[in-house]
Amino acid sequence: MAARAERPPLSAVVSRGRTSSWLTTVDHKRIGILYVVTTLVFFVAGGILALLMRAQLATPNEHFVTGDSYNELFTMHGTTMIFLVIVPFWAGLANYLVPLMIGARDMAFPRLNALSYWLFLLGGIILYSSWFAAGGAARAGWTGYPPLSNLPYTPGNGIDLWILSLHVLTLSSLAGAINFLVTIHRMRAPGMSWMRMPLFVWSMEVYAALLVVVLPALGAGLTLLLLDRQAGTHFFIPQQGGNALLYQHVFWFFGHPEVYVMILPAMGVISEVIPVFSRKPIFGYTAIALSTVAIGFYSMLVWAHHMFTVGLPGYLQGFFMISSMIIAVPTGIKIFNWLATTWRGNIHFDTAMLFALGFIAVFTIGGLSGIFVAAYPFDWQAQDTYYVVAHLHYVLFGGSVFGIFAALAYWWPKMFGKMLDERLGKISFWLTFVGMNLTFFPMHMLGLLGMPRRIYTYRYGGIWEWYNLTSTIGSGVMALGILVFGINILRTARNGTRAVNDPWLAYTLEWYTTSPPPPHNFDRLPYISSARPLRDLRRRIAEAGA
Amino acid sequence: MPPLVRRSIFVVCVTFALVLTGGALAGNGGVAPPSPASPNAQNIRDIYWLILAVTGGIFVIVMAALVVFVIRYRSNGRPREVEGPQVRGHTNLELAWTAGPVILLAIIVGFVFWKVSGIGATSGLPADQSAAQENVTIDAHQYYWNFVYPNGAISVDHLRLPYNRTVRLTIVAHDVAHSWWVPELGGKLDAIPGKRNHTSFRATKLGTFRGQCAEFCGLQHAAMLARVEVLPPDEYESWVQGRANAKLELGKESFIGACAKCHGLAAQGDIGPNIASNPLLNDPKALANVIRNGTGTMPAVGQDWTRTQMAATISYLQRRFGQGGASGGGQG
Repeated sequence: MAARAERPPLSAVVSRGRTSSWLTTVDHKRIGILYVVTTLVFFVAGGILALLMRAQLATPNEHFVTGDSYNELFTMHGTTMIFLVIVPFWAGLANYLVPLMIGARDMAFPRLNALSYWLFLLGGIILYSSWFAAGGAARAGWTGYPPLSNLPYTPGNGIDLWILSLHVLTLSSLAGAINFLVTIHRMRAPGMSWMRMPLFVWSMEVYAALLVVVLPALGAGLTLLLLDRQAGTHFFIPQQGGNALLYQHVFWFFGHPEVYVMILPAMGVISEVIPVFSRKPIFGYTAIALSTVAIGFYSMLVWAHHMFTVGLPGYLQGFFMISSMIIAVPTGIKIFNWLATTWRGNIHFDTAMLFALGFIAVFTIGGLSGIFVAAYPFDWQAQDTYYVVAHLHYVLFGGSVFGIFAALAYWWPKMFGKMLDERLGKISFWLTFVGMNLTFFPMHMLGLLGMPRRIYTYRYGGIWEWYNLTSTIGSGVMALGILVFGINILRTARNGTRAVNDPWLAYTLEWYTTSPPPPHNFDRLPYISSARPLRDLRRRIAEAGA
Repeated sequence: MPPLVRRSIFVVCVTFALVLTGGALAGNGGVAPPSPASPNAQNIRDIYWLILAVTGGIFVIVMAALVVFVIRYRSNGRPREVEGPQVRGHTNLELAWTAGPVILLAIIVGFVFWKVSGIGATSGLPADQSAAQENVTIDAHQYYWNFVYPNGAISVDHLRLPYNRTVRLTIVAHDVAHSWWVPELGGKLDAIPGKRNHTSFRATKLGTFRGQCAEFCGLQHAAMLARVEVLPPDEYESWVQGRANAKLELGKESFIGACAKCHGLAAQGDIGPNIASNPLLNDPKALANVIRNGTGTMPAVGQDWTRTQMAATISYLQRRFGQGGASGGGQG
């Protein structure tokens, strides 16, 4: 052959560059890290929006922001935290973990996986670009109910960009969900039967299945809304024969399962963390796995409990009360099983475990207040008040976000090869825990006293003012806790100690490989003969050595 | 029971009880829905107390177990290699904490169905079949309430009702969704364009009760307040009769409710422009047009006003702010 130097293909050159390799990666671990880092950036952005709201509500008749800005703040805060933080964080974490946990080389469709991430980023950028749209950002609430979200009542392009962004995010999530389903169903290691699968993977199975079922409903509802706004249709315009209530049904058919999409993976994380730090197997593995499936199933039958005040017939309200209360049973099973897991354990209070135990404490409050609002006559009092704001934040902050912090603390050594600082981790936990309760607990009382949600100001001083002020102070404490967590991350990046392969003596397969894992994940895999393959290995080694 | 367990349960219970009684003593600072002024609100509060008792019990059990286990089974220097007993489950125990909650929830559901039969909300009964003695229509608008009484009298943001008489409210809206809510009188019910909602109740306390729109309805949602004044029946009757002819009063209420929230109580301009010096004041037709159809960001506040209400509002505006009328009605 002639000595003509063959030039490598362009794609190979691009994929070697320091930045360009991240832009072109199809490795599930790198995509997972891109996801996680992006969601943390949006978490800070959404948190700042929340702090601005709390500043405005600190005292009565405050003029920190205008009414219009306030309406933009809560709309963007809700949309950000749900669509750009919690849901994609689980997608990112699971991207990293699911193939490792089930012993696969990568996700089933690596390129589709990359598409999911880049669509997610695009959706986020579209949403945030709406601050610069004519008429400002979307300001009809994260639920975007018509007629208010129709053109005559909310002119400008903020809502249109909000719809476009949610459409793009829906596509991203759908592609990701299908990818998870195929990966979990087809690519488990030899011996890993369904009942030997890590509980986090169980939760992601249900997460993905729910998204595939309900996201198309959201896409349809938003498309009709967009047509009403821009194409002269009148699906939701009552004066022209449309039905405004139809949107609420479609939205909540998606919206309530979405809550479980956000909380189930957190429960999966807790089910991984508590046994490892209690030095025991999970109590009632089968019950927890099946309760995850049960919650997922029932979550699709409860949507109208968000609509108890729209004037539904009594028998429907009764039906949705009962179906909503049924969900409390599998949820209770999980909480009791976690508690039983700690019983007679050897409990180590590392940061991950603190967040997991904190999760049990505060999520229980959120779950129990859920029983109140499921009882529809009481919900006629609580609906659309701060009572509901308290309830949903106990579930989504005390639940999902505590789950996120537990996950970060637990898997950080695996993902980045360095140990987070335990002292800073504990400080951040206690600040977040105390701040979270200070912020959200008084909201129960405010709601019962008559404070509706989504008001930019209130007139009464007295006890309203005290509760609101406490809440604002709490939000500052909480922000401090999150800041400490951020400092911890930065310090660890600069001079953290190296992590060994398995610092927690954990049970699942991701700890079998190096920290961080090589691109191909595993050189070889043990045959999986239980739900705790790593403990089996350690015992076998100990027996061989003895 | 080991002393540690006893102490922890004790501490959790006492804290919980202290918080509750403390709240109750502080004049119900939001520990429960406010002191009811109607059987509807009373029934809802009964439901609240029952659920609080049940969930409070569960909360105490879970927290006590959490605190006890965390203290009792902490590692205390034991290395990670030391494992706890490898218990994988316990069928009877797990059945118990599945069946237990089912029974508790069934009790709650039964209690709710029993109590809800005494609540008139969202019954959907047509007016001629309900036992109501008084029918009032609530027409919710961005950002005020129009109350229409049986004789056609109208009031704005300030509803008068007779004491101890069953009232049937018909709740409608023609712009965006709103929600009618006065906590002391009962639950809320949405006003949704294209839908007529009904609720009925009986006020069993005299006095004035405050409420506010509970469904986000736009820029001035926070200003959409309501007052319900429960009067002795004879006082109520004479007020309704008088209001039917009190044009000036109606004009003033309409101005404060529909105009002043954006234009200021002295019409000096706030979110909306100054009205007091606006040349439109001298052109009743153009003024009526703006009120009826809105303009720019101003909602069509008077889109379904009667002639009477429109005339009353315009004449109030002209008397108070128009040329030479600066002396008329200095109040506000």
